[in-house]
Amino acid sequence: MTETSTPPAQQVGSSQHADGAVARLRTILGRRTEGRAVALLGVVLVATLILEPVVFTSYEVTLGRVALIGLVALGLTAVILMGELDLAVASTLAVSGVIMASFDSLLVGIPVALATGLVIGMVNAFFVIVVGINSFIATLGMLFFLRGAAFVISDEAPVRIADIDAGIAFGRPVLGPLTPRMLIFVVAFVALHIFLTRVRVGREFYAVGGNREAAYDAGIPVARRVFTGFMISGFVAALAGVINALERTAADPTAGSSVLLASFAAAIIGGVLLNGGRGSVFGTLLGASSLGILQVALTLSGVQVDVQNIVIGGVLLIAVITDPNSLRAAAGSFRALVRSRSGPQPPG
Amino acid sequence: MRTRRLRIVGLFVAGALLLAACGDDADDTTTDDTTTDDTTTDDTTTDDTTEGDAEDAGADAGDAGFEVFALLPQGNDQPYGTTYLPPMEEAAAELGIDLTITNSQYDADTQASDCEVAVASEPDLIILWPAVGDTVRPCLEAASAADIPVTVTNSDVNPEDEDLTRGYSGPDTYGQGVASAEIMCELADGADTGIIMVNGLTGNSTAINREAGFEDTINEQCSNVEILARQPGNWNKDESQIAASEMITSVGAENIQGVYAADDTMVAGAIDALIARDIDPADLIITSIGNTFLGNPLVLDGSLDGTVFQSSSWDGENAVVTAHEVLTEAPGERIVRFMPDVKVTAENAEDPDVAPEW
Repeated sequence: MTETSTPPAQQVGSSQHADGAVARLRTILGRRTEGRAVALLGVVLVATLILEPVVFTSYEVTLGRVALIGLVALGLTAVILMGELDLAVASTLAVSGVIMASFDSLLVGIPVALATGLVIGMVNAFFVIVVGINSFIATLGMLFFLRGAAFVISDEAPVRIADIDAGIAFGRPVLGPLTPRMLIFVVAFVALHIFLTRVRVGREFYAVGGNREAAYDAGIPVARRVFTGFMISGFVAALAGVINALERTAADPTAGSSVLLASFAAAIIGGVLLNGGRGSVFGTLLGASSLGILQVALTLSGVQVDVQNIVIGGVLLIAVITDPNSLRAAAGSFRALVRSRSGPQPPG
Repeated sequence: MRTRRLRIVGLFVAGALLLAACGDDADDTTTDDTTTDDTTTDDTTTDDTTEGDAEDAGADAGDAGFEVFALLPQGNDQPYGTTYLPPMEEAAAELGIDLTITNSQYDADTQASDCEVAVASEPDLIILWPAVGDTVRPCLEAASAADIPVTVTNSDVNPEDEDLTRGYSGPDTYGQGVASAEIMCELADGADTGIIMVNGLTGNSTAINREAGFEDTINEQCSNVEILARQPGNWNKDESQIAASEMITSVGAENIQGVYAADDTMVAGAIDALIARDIDPADLIITSIGNTFLGNPLVLDGSLDGTVFQSSSWDGENAVVTAHEVLTEAPGERIVRFMPDVKVTAENAEDPDVAPEW
């Protein structure tokens, strides 16, 4: 029997190599922001598997719900990464759907509606960058403006699309169980992920959100990046509006009432920092998946919508509370409080 | 690192507890063991079932146990839904129907998604209350493709979609507008009467039908009544008050002799707007629809001249009765079961038959 032994030098080398790999892995994991989203998704998956396994046997329905929540959230992520907000996404969705349905031909209506989303994004960015209005205020104004515009254009009633049969066909699976909405969602996710991680312009979004002054000093065209981010958000919201109108065979000027909060929730649960600079579309995907699965499971269980809102609100709170920055701030406050209590008391 | 581990474990436990608790709630909210003693009589156009047969069928169904999804746009978050649901659940328990109820809160996308969930769970039947009538076609098509019958409650689908449904029960929303207009015409009595109109949520089929019923009737029966301005009040008192106030300003208070609001909640807002302008509502002809806890006292104190009774309990109960009829009798024709349109004025506002329910 032959024994093989490793020379001591080689052992030290492999040990150092292993330590290095662990350190690298730790660094990589430390940079990631999706930890909470992964944990939550794990909880949701396990709980759903036990309590409502139909969610998985009817996975096409679950995927549809994830795509419904996630698409707008993906576009929103591009804006939030730069430390800005876009509250107009739901109204953009409504007005773009109405515009598309107002045309006699879908071939004309769809490009016009998508172009409208781009223009809305440009206008939002104009107010934020050129006029200097806080994005919360600027997009809040746009929210009301677009909602009103949707009512005026639609003559205050749902607008049926020109080709209802095409709309119904659009809602049917085209590739296995996947409907066009799901495929578009996947394409949007992949495109945005590549843009934000592999393309220089996209990577600069993080710099703009992390430290805007430093980004200016580093020669990054901040204004152009903010314009790009808002245009992505507007375009994706318009895309969601077009998809919704096609699938429902009509555009509803009141559409999107639940989209704004759901998309913000998906991004926040996914670890996207509202102050900008940290987060990823992968995290947003995880957040949207958690919310989508949770909603489908609760609906299948017959849980009332009020209770569903409590659950989703609770999940959102957990996501915010377990944010490392929040925890560090809370720990700092606690330490300061303890120090002030245990320190020397002034005489008298 | 330890903190991180603790955090993750804590998250798992909290989430699991939360979800487990909700799972229990689900059973509690969907299954109702209470029973009722009677079912309401109705104006069924295709109704040849005797009471005894229905009870037998209910007993049989109780053994079989039907699974039914009810896709509603409101629930306990609205006064109407609060009194609609208990009779619905009681009737379901009596007839052996296991109800799963969703509430889309008038969001068409949410209801469409709820419909996908419903179709995927393959129930025996779907009861649909359309959030937005124009957007339910794909849901109906999907249910039809899966051989799941659909009955409609409260607000009927568009005429071109009726073939995809097996029945409707609920108010004749167009007829309610007609009845409210008839009160207006009678009280106007040939005199020139300028009115402002507060409508329901834009795009909602009930709002559209009531508006059409009211307008068609005054055009046909009393051309002396002229609609000077109209705005949506979104079924909301505050929004209605703002809308009415704006219309009073734009039209001029001196030109207004009447108000029509599409429900009692909104008419209360419109009356508040009149009072805020020092206009006595008793001097105007005011009509609405509902005869609710809010509207009935207004009729009694003379602020509201007339309203049209809508019974939420009738509506909820008959949604299930109609569904049960489709499940047990498979009628060839589409069932249409309209709620009677009872006009409520000062003369009959205190009658027990029209006691407000919501």
